Amino acid sequence: MEKKSHTIDSTGFDYMANTGKEEQDRDTCGIVLALIIISVLTLFQYLGLY
Amino acid sequence: MAQSATATYDDRRRSFLSSLYSFGKTFPGLMAMLFIAVFANNLPGVPNPFTLSNLFAWLDGVIGPLNHQPMFQLLNSNFVWNPLLLGLIIGNLFGVPNIWKPGLSYIHMLMPLGIIMLAPHFIVPHAAKLGVWPIIICTGSMFLTASITLALARVFKLDDRHGSIIAGGLSTGDPHACAILMPLIKAKGGQVVNAVICVIGFGLISMIVLPMVGSMTNIPEKYMGLAAIVGVGNGHQALFAAFQSGYEAGRFAFWFDIGRHVIMPAGFLYVFIFMFIRKLRSPNNSEIKATRGIKRFPIWLGVFIFCWILACLHLFKEPAHHAIFNMVQWDFSLAAAALGLSISFKEIIAVGYKGFIVTCIAGFLRILLILGAIFLCVKTGLLPI
Repeated sequence: MEKKSHTIDSTGFDYMANTGKEEQDRDTCGIVLALIIISVLTLFQYLGLY
Repeated sequence: MAQSATATYDDRRRSFLSSLYSFGKTFPGLMAMLFIAVFANNLPGVPNPFTLSNLFAWLDGVIGPLNHQPMFQLLNSNFVWNPLLLGLIIGNLFGVPNIWKPGLSYIHMLMPLGIIMLAPHFIVPHAAKLGVWPIIICTGSMFLTASITLALARVFKLDDRHGSIIAGGLSTGDPHACAILMPLIKAKGGQVVNAVICVIGFGLISMIVLPMVGSMTNIPEKYMGLAAIVGVGNGHQALFAAFQSGYEAGRFAFWFDIGRHVIMPAGFLYVFIFMFIRKLRSPNNSEIKATRGIKRFPIWLGVFIFCWILACLHLFKEPAHHAIFNMVQWDFSLAAAALGLSISFKEIIAVGYKGFIVTCIAGFLRILLILGAIFLCVKTGLLPI
């Protein structure tokens, strides 16, 4: 019950649960965003923008 | 509950972006993470003087340095643990409103994002200046410590998720590895925080014990710096131990620390792969909980390894490397805020004290082995004086 009050809302959604297709999608978002940030920052350096 | 939530997600999923929900739904939670992060750390680009980090720095100034180290750095105050602490306090004192929860679920996107962006931080060729034997000692110590800790965790019948997190943190000498291993091991938040307390707690003991034992061995100060780095780890705790052995030991600890630092990813990868293979070999063993739920090697971890290889090939030069690390600070601060909010103090305490016993036994064994190995290397001339 203690954990419920911290992570589960009244509809049964648990924000710390991370399984199935939703987990894969969150991983994909992380990978895409990481590659964009790393590529842009590295490219800006090679182009002499900072 | 979790199953019905998963079914609901599958029904409304249109693309992988569906996992980000709508802006309106996630905004309150993201704001909560942002404010906790901004008031915990001095984040790049935020000119906010009222941070927990600045409060600790001010208190450090009042207390004064201990063996040249600030006290709150010895207690591992940094951009991960400051927001985690603030999140823990807020979550336990005031609770977590339901309206925050969709936004807080971004922690699961932020973890792989932050870990991949961490890759340019570990440029292995930087350690080449140390020479062969210090590198062998750093690497050997890391794998040996992880193996000993995992074995002891089995002997003490520790939950294998808790044991794995301790093994990662203790072997790499960096409690950050505990947080990095969390999504890989599928550990509970309470186990992660408990493991961090074990690693930091043992670090505080070992930073006093290692110089005392080392003084009996006649190891030169230069190599007591190396012993502190691999035997204590945890940044400032290792420097405290080294300066306790002498000023030269402290100076050389800075020099040798690169050897521990750049191979750190190999430490948490080793723990994950070891536990993952163990689970694959015994898929029906209910006692094996670590990596349960991970059916194949995570793609994002493959991307991390790829970026780490690029970093070792010097693709990310200094300014880009630092700019990317600034983004890591933002990422981990936000994720740590969400993690802190998700854990109750009871969950941390419920994990128990056995983890600390395992940490201490593995840690003291490491200290003895490290001092023995360095003593032998000095006597045989493998480590020149």
